[in-house]
Amino acid sequence: MARRRSVNGPSPFPTLFSDCNRSLASLNLIAWRTAISIAESDQLAQLLASTALGDRRAFETLYRSVSPRLHGIALRFMGRGDLAEDVLQESFVRIWHNASRYQMHLCAPMTWMINITRNQAVDHLRKQRERSLTDVEAQLLEDQSPSAHEQLSTAREAGALNRCLDTLEGMQRQSIAVAYFQGLSCAELAVHLEAPLGSVKSWIRRGMERLRRCLES
Amino acid sequence: MNYQTPALRRALAGDYAVGLMPALAQRRFERLLLEDKALRAELAQWQTCLASMTETIPESPVAEHVWQRIKARIEPQPVTESAKRGWWNGLRIGVVACALAVAVVFGVIYNQDDSRYRATLLSDTAQAVFRIDAGADQLHIEALALTAITPAHSLQLWAIAAGSKPVSLGLIAETGRSTLKLDQAQSRLLGKAVVLAISLEPKGGSPTGQPTGPVLYKGALADL
Repeated sequence: MARRRSVNGPSPFPTLFSDCNRSLASLNLIAWRTAISIAESDQLAQLLASTALGDRRAFETLYRSVSPRLHGIALRFMGRGDLAEDVLQESFVRIWHNASRYQMHLCAPMTWMINITRNQAVDHLRKQRERSLTDVEAQLLEDQSPSAHEQLSTAREAGALNRCLDTLEGMQRQSIAVAYFQGLSCAELAVHLEAPLGSVKSWIRRGMERLRRCLES
Repeated sequence: MNYQTPALRRALAGDYAVGLMPALAQRRFERLLLEDKALRAELAQWQTCLASMTETIPESPVAEHVWQRIKARIEPQPVTESAKRGWWNGLRIGVVACALAVAVVFGVIYNQDDSRYRATLLSDTAQAVFRIDAGADQLHIEALALTAITPAHSLQLWAIAAGSKPVSLGLIAETGRSTLKLDQAQSRLLGKAVVLAISLEPKGGSPTGQPTGPVLYKGALADL
């Protein structure tokens, strides 16, 4: 148990801000989700609370129930099985160490865990880009990774989300997806989308604002 | 910059969430987040909004070895080996004890150097596992108990000053006995009140420059 001290209190090992404080009461954006998912959410929150206390069994149960979902997400980000497994592994090590930072009354557990996975994936992708853009591996990665368009078109099958994404203009939609799924910096986005920096920023900001308003309405 | 305007706060949190902020602004925003609960909530709204883009990504079954690897990362390795080879272990402990005794004697004879600080690092169960003596420009590490880690792992030593990020002091040799050279920054750090901690890391040390595995042993560094 003493090991857990390292993540409690004034932690000597600060982590990125991967926690979210969303009120469950305002989850109206996914109104089509029924009481079942709220029960699931409660169960996950309980497992996270036990994990925070160092309960390895609870952590394993948590892993068994959410790892396929997070693995799917990691695969979308990384586009390669081995890299997705690395990301999944790092994400769960983080979830284990940071479970005590999760606040049940403020945040949906799945969102919190998705965000940890995204942070890990984006870190990986950035490191890869820094390492080399010309080596064979990067080439391979680019060839195999699903494009932002593909990722988005799959996402668009969802009802509420689909409706909201439809309210966005083409470039707004595309630039948000590329920024989210590939973790590109502002300058990289401008190159990738072959557009001026200012336009890219404004597409993303306006698009996100519109998306959020729609999802919350 | 004025962070009090609701519209600006919302816009900044959005930029941060999607990754539009340059590194410097990002760090400044993270400092603000620490003390601003409402800003954290604002950020969370954006994160939830963005996470909804993953809603229909199909699940993908996970190979069992991933769980085994996660387990290895979060569970410290057993301190002693199986009881089946009790007499052999006894012998080995004896050999190590002798080696330690010799090492300590030689240490006393040859290392009458400049030891200024000392720390005893304890395990979860309050067992003393490592003793560390620090001088002006080097640091001696002695194993006081047997530790077994898999070949895929290394033990890494960190110095943690209050309110600061851990600073790596180096890896501990598999034999448990190491001398690490300190650079000026590390040496200055040891002059402050620091806790020393040893974490379990992938072979060759943490890939991120910060501890990634569990802290197995720790203790405060005291003046001699």
